[in-house]
Amino acid sequence: MREISPRSPWAILLIVIVLGYAGILFIAPLIGIISAAFADGLEPIIATLNDPSVQHAFYISFALAIGATAINAVLGLIAAWVLTRQRFRGRRLFDALVDIPFVFSPVIAGYAMIVLFGREGWITPPFAIVFALPGILLAKTFVSLPYVIREVQPVLETLTPEAEDAAYTIGATRWTTFRKVVLPEIWTALLYGIVLTFARAIGEFGAVSVISGNIEGYTETATSFVFRALNDRNASGAYIVSLLLCLISVIILVLMNVLRSRVVRKGV
Amino acid sequence: MKHLKLTLAAAGLLALSAFAPVAAQDAPEPITLTLAGYAVPREAYGDIIPLFQRYWLDQTGQQVIVLESYQASGAQSRAVAGGFAADVVALSIEPDITRLVDAGLVSEDWKDDNPYSGIVTQSLVVLAVRADNPKNILDWADLAAEGVEIITPDPATSGGAQWNILGAAGAAERGFVPGYEGETAVADFLTALAGNVLVFDRDGRESYLTFERGIGDVAITYENEVIGAALAGGTDAYVYPASTILIENPVAVVDTYVDQNGTREVAEAFVEFLWTADAQRAFANRGFRPVTPEVRAQYGLAEEGEEIAEAGAGAVEVNASIVYPAVEDEFTIEHFGGWSEARATYFGDEGLFTRIAAEIQG
Repeated sequence: MREISPRSPWAILLIVIVLGYAGILFIAPLIGIISAAFADGLEPIIATLNDPSVQHAFYISFALAIGATAINAVLGLIAAWVLTRQRFRGRRLFDALVDIPFVFSPVIAGYAMIVLFGREGWITPPFAIVFALPGILLAKTFVSLPYVIREVQPVLETLTPEAEDAAYTIGATRWTTFRKVVLPEIWTALLYGIVLTFARAIGEFGAVSVISGNIEGYTETATSFVFRALNDRNASGAYIVSLLLCLISVIILVLMNVLRSRVVRKGV
Repeated sequence: MKHLKLTLAAAGLLALSAFAPVAAQDAPEPITLTLAGYAVPREAYGDIIPLFQRYWLDQTGQQVIVLESYQASGAQSRAVAGGFAADVVALSIEPDITRLVDAGLVSEDWKDDNPYSGIVTQSLVVLAVRADNPKNILDWADLAAEGVEIITPDPATSGGAQWNILGAAGAAERGFVPGYEGETAVADFLTALAGNVLVFDRDGRESYLTFERGIGDVAITYENEVIGAALAGGTDAYVYPASTILIENPVAVVDTYVDQNGTREVAEAFVEFLWTADAQRAFANRGFRPVTPEVRAQYGLAEEGEEIAEAGAGAVEVNASIVYPAVEDEFTIEHFGGWSEARATYFGDEGLFTRIAAEIQG
């Protein structure tokens, strides 16, 4: 492969392409949302923030995204450990299946849950799942499932079992070994996975919109609110809630960069 | 680390408090009613629900919380059939309620005892055009002209879309689309029309908003949608075709769910309330044609020679700026022999429009 020198016209062209790409895909929409949100001054912003259904939508989005993140952090950590440290029949298949939420359309995942748990579904749960909050939790958990596993797994793979064995030899329990030997190594990857999980879970729309019934003030999430507000000709409401969701994304982005720099420093 | 724990605890509290519906905070033993509506009458229900809440409080001393969900009629009907335990459904077309009857959720005699056969509002299929009508679109035939871009929702998901297609088909069948005559008039006209459709959106509201955003030359839509848009400050115009279909929107109590939820009484009261003069005027003020004779008379819709008791004044006043003109040839779903016939002929797997749409989409 031929190296491209930084000052060659090709390099300049590539830089222009990358900047143009970023400008069209991220920066222009962000500017559009910001200017639209502030277009009518502060009044609609205050009205939107005081709207109980908006506040409720954010509660639901946050609470259930935190719930999905907690579930996926714990189960994802266990799954990553099982996948790297255990050899069992079907391990490779399970390893491949972890990526299903990446390739599966969320809308189809939502419908599948209705087939499973809906009226006359295959499974009759003791409490309402679909068209209620547990369904949304399930949808958010499903779409954000792979991140912790996929972040933690490669780090675990680089760890040799010898350090763990050494800990056992000097009398450490399994839990102490995990806490003192394994966790410090995977901590950054785990946090990175958790941040990604949360980002994915809070932004989910497709599966949630199918499974939630979009009941205002009950199962409506922040992203569903944006969709509804546009249909209600409440453009300012839609833009303001979008802007808040963007802010959350920016915070997540900053967190990710902090974590990534920690990974890099560790790697050196 | 301590700080993180505190934050997590706060988040946990937040999570717990989120599990109660919004308005459920300080009312003594309120009852919750869930309304599953199609996309378009949202604003009208926004006017009617507070009236009903006051009425129910006066009658029973009980507060009623109304949870609302609105999406495309077909999608809403499928959600309710799939387990969305709504007490009342307000849908665009009767077949979306028939689906719930077939699922055993709504009793078969749901419209039998009702003087309006379960129909709560009417509307007409109309053509929305740009303010100065630059393409000079005046009637159905103009939609088939070359280069005209049409916006209409997708009949597969939207009840309103089926009204639109049936409006076009009926007008052709009844000889109101010049240039399309004889045996194949309907098929030819629908083929030409479908070929000009630029966007098939998911529901009626989305479709009209697409048009409002400047896409297309004409939107096949409903009188209530264009009146609603004008009330919201829209500047697009609309024309009434000489021949068009009368849209009839049904409402029903979902028997299985109200019995499960213990809400039969309040659900039935809510549905009945929709035919009170106040509710009917609230619908009419949002662009829906009312169905009760005394409110129809207030909006100039009385049949000639009909004797009507005067509607009493109520909480909702007549908005005199809204006019509901008569069209030359207004027909109903009965022109097609009822919904099951119309569905089979046009939208079934072998239906005429299903085949045309498949051909066009290649």
